[in-house]
Amino acid sequence: MIDTPDVIVVGGGHAGIEAALAARRADCRVVLISAKASRIGEMSCNPAIGGIAKGTIVREIDALDGSMARSADATSLHFRMLNRRKGPAVWGPRVQSDAAEYARAQQLYIENNGIEIIEDVVTGLSGDTERVSGVKCRGCGIVKGKTVVLAAGTFLRGRLFRGDEHWKGGRIGDISADALERDLAERMFHVERFKTGTPARIVRSTVNTSELEVQRSEDTDFTFSFGKGMPDREGEVCYITYTDVNTMNIAKDYLHLSPLMAGRIEGTGPRYCPSYEDKVVKFPDRQRHRIYVEPMGYKSRDFYLNGLSTSLPREAQIKMVRSLRGFKSAEISDYGYAVEYSYFHFSEIDDTLRLRKTDNVFAAGQICGTSGYEEAAGLGLVAGANAARTAKKSEPLKLSRMNSYIGVMIDDIVSKGADEPYRMFSSRAENRLHLRQDNADRRLYLLGNRFGILSEDKKELLSANLKEAELICSILESETADGMRLSKWCRRPGVTVEAVGARAESLAERDQKVLLSVLLDEKYRGYIERNLRRHESRRNLDRIDLREISSYMEIDEICWEAREVLERERPETLARAERIPGIRPTDLHGLLIYLGRQRST
Amino acid sequence: MNTMSPEIICAVATPEGTSALSVIRISGSGSFELLENIMSLEKNRLRGMRRKVGRIFEEGRTVDEVVAVSWPRGSSFTGEEMVEIICHGIPRSIRTIMEILIKNGARKAEPGEFARRAFGNGKLSAVQIIALAALWDTEREQTTFNGETEISCMELLSGIERARETVEGIIEFGEAHLDGDDNVIGRIFDELTGRAGVFKREAASIEKRGRVMLMGPMNSGKSTLFNLLSGKGRALVSGEPGTTRDGSSCIIEISGRKMQLCDTAGTDGLGLDRTASEAVIDGLDGTERVIWMSVGAKTPPPGKVRKRAGEIIEIAAKSDLTVKRETADFLNVSAISGEGLEELKTILSRIPGSMSLSGAADRIAGSIEESFNFISSGEYGLAAELLSEAEIEARRILGRGENIQLSVERALSGMCVGK
Repeated sequence: MIDTPDVIVVGGGHAGIEAALAARRADCRVVLISAKASRIGEMSCNPAIGGIAKGTIVREIDALDGSMARSADATSLHFRMLNRRKGPAVWGPRVQSDAAEYARAQQLYIENNGIEIIEDVVTGLSGDTERVSGVKCRGCGIVKGKTVVLAAGTFLRGRLFRGDEHWKGGRIGDISADALERDLAERMFHVERFKTGTPARIVRSTVNTSELEVQRSEDTDFTFSFGKGMPDREGEVCYITYTDVNTMNIAKDYLHLSPLMAGRIEGTGPRYCPSYEDKVVKFPDRQRHRIYVEPMGYKSRDFYLNGLSTSLPREAQIKMVRSLRGFKSAEISDYGYAVEYSYFHFSEIDDTLRLRKTDNVFAAGQICGTSGYEEAAGLGLVAGANAARTAKKSEPLKLSRMNSYIGVMIDDIVSKGADEPYRMFSSRAENRLHLRQDNADRRLYLLGNRFGILSEDKKELLSANLKEAELICSILESETADGMRLSKWCRRPGVTVEAVGARAESLAERDQKVLLSVLLDEKYRGYIERNLRRHESRRNLDRIDLREISSYMEIDEICWEAREVLERERPETLARAERIPGIRPTDLHGLLIYLGRQRST
Repeated sequence: MNTMSPEIICAVATPEGTSALSVIRISGSGSFELLENIMSLEKNRLRGMRRKVGRIFEEGRTVDEVVAVSWPRGSSFTGEEMVEIICHGIPRSIRTIMEILIKNGARKAEPGEFARRAFGNGKLSAVQIIALAALWDTEREQTTFNGETEISCMELLSGIERARETVEGIIEFGEAHLDGDDNVIGRIFDELTGRAGVFKREAASIEKRGRVMLMGPMNSGKSTLFNLLSGKGRALVSGEPGTTRDGSSCIIEISGRKMQLCDTAGTDGLGLDRTASEAVIDGLDGTERVIWMSVGAKTPPPGKVRKRAGEIIEIAAKSDLTVKRETADFLNVSAISGEGLEELKTILSRIPGSMSLSGAADRIAGSIEESFNFISSGEYGLAAELLSEAEIEARRILGRGENIQLSVERALSGMCVGK
């Protein structure tokens, strides 16, 4: 190699791809190392992108010029706007993609953007932990780099389980990254174990789809990516079937062979995406669970059984599948399994996704303790951008809880951690009414631009949207209806885009999607502003330094238990103290009164 | 941090009611000019740190003779251009001055806004401001309420939490996880509305318990004591129901405890007075405290009062004029010499009850109702937002689990305007 690459990305999944592309857009020389280059961009589990909150993350990734939205649009077979009837604040766009085409589309982004791919197994970091010099590879030895992004997904000492079968692997058909995990452990990184799983894939031709409920795609011009229209292509339908008492009884019969129940898996699984056997144990009264039957691709051989993730033995799996309506003679092409893997404890990661023990190693994706493609991609984009900023010695990119779901996610995982794989929910965002899918471009354009991660095309497109919104705002300010400004009139309940349009002719020529988005901002303005004010006062707590306190034991204003806990934990700021379990608001108040008195004397 | 609007704000900084002097605060860029205008002063007379005696005019007529004290930007409490008008403490002229200020471009300050601006401009540290807020909260928490009300508030909170979980669940997972039970939301909200109603009633009755009636025969010094307690009681607090002094009742604050003090006509009166006095006695419902006062404690409270009052504090009035009776049943009080006043205040400050609970209960019930309306109109995001408002309020009442970042803002908004 001629000169040292700026950024080495370890892993070519959803996180690794966005990390590599973001660093490349920031004008870095980027090397992506993957154990199997042909599987870069693979959808290891379900063939879908988006959902509630997740769909908004995809829009945010697009606003920061990531590739996930465009690849999802280009390979879309089926679209639904989830929560369509629950108000635009919680709409969640979701597409079914052709899994193989999606991976290929992502690979093309990597190839066409001048990212070097090395097919090799990374066995560890090289050099001092405080400042690594690159990574060690099994085949080509040390690859030097100014910064490293670890995006190893479920591969860190990955173990796969199905009934009493168990073997090493990061995913079915892939080896696990044991040496890398050992290297990290030797460098004293604190890692823990999580597990997750995937359902069986079914041979489509063996399913009697005429017995299933059909779920058609919505007819819409929605695209994840801001600006361009959806490619005109033939879609697919999805189906719905249900489990019944037979399915449940089969699972019960084999429960003793479940690797989780038998204690072979120690890691915690995702509560919100549980395996079927978890559901049977936790909700024994409920026999009927909805199962979505989704094609893996356009006219593909296989169906994906969304909702029937399992690691029971093969024998149980085939019996369970065949108990579903329409699946009487179904054949399984790939059996479901569980995977257990290592991830970094939250105390290891800072709010730029840098590993605290190092100056130049970042983490993204499932190794941060999250679950989901969209979450991984969002983290990847930030980690890649910050690796680039570090390589170029410039100030890091930080998103906030107030401007994005990605900001909420990062704040959550680095400050609180999670006792199960972290999945994004809209209710995690206190400023949810502002963090909508329709305004992600306007929320993040200025930030993306300032941190140099937008391509010229994207800049042009997004700044045009911004200008359009400004134009619409000025029309809403100048036009009136029923004696009030249109900007205020549109906040009345039940007012639609059409009704507003009818009040001002000049709005007819404007982009109707942007118009709707601006109207929603107006409608929710009062709540959004209140949330911003709250957030601001909370940030003030961050500025209150507690390090000057020499002993908590003498502070009469707080209770004994709190004194002991604070004496032990010694938080740096009041905001940190607030997060310590066992510290109550009254203790914080007491602390403040104490500090106030100290300062005045 | 400076997200504050640059508007000029104004507020009365002294307690409501008649007093010798009162102070009105004005803050924000342009305050000097505003004052120069309404006092018909030459331009720039208030520039810098000045003190100016003058008159405030309205349509050529003098409203009041005042002293205006000005502070330039950077050296005032808020850090902004600021003026304090010291005027006479006559409610009507204070109101008129406020109206004139507002007519000339100022706006009435929101509760805590002066302190917020001071903070925003770096004049108050976060520690100072939150410590101030915390002190306010501590005082408010002294208004303990009884077990029953606490339980009904806890039930309300758990109802709100359940409703919120259900709404959030529907947002994240769709109706599928409700097992086809379509009306679950309707039932949850029905029950919640019921709980909010119970709590509202409890809160209202607690407030009654915070009511103190001054009763006794004519000429026993009720009105003198009333004036003493209401005048020297720390403050009449604005912004709460029934705080305006209507001559016979007022909100007093003793050791941080707010209570409503009611003066009544003498029980031995004739004609209208008699009717009024009987109406008061009939109106007692077993919760109110009665201060029964008679000269030298010579007239015991009649049986009807004993039966209907929640608690009776008997006072031997005019202790400076009468032969003292030293028994545990009486408190010797003289409004003239001040004897017994401190003891009386100590007794009053132990009365449970809060004058602010009802407002909070109303807000919770309102948020719940609005939340349900949003569900009906298909705005689940807004519905959840309002439930979280209700939850924060209920947690605040119970003094538990509320995030401090929320309580700072709340404590500020609970502050007396102009403080």
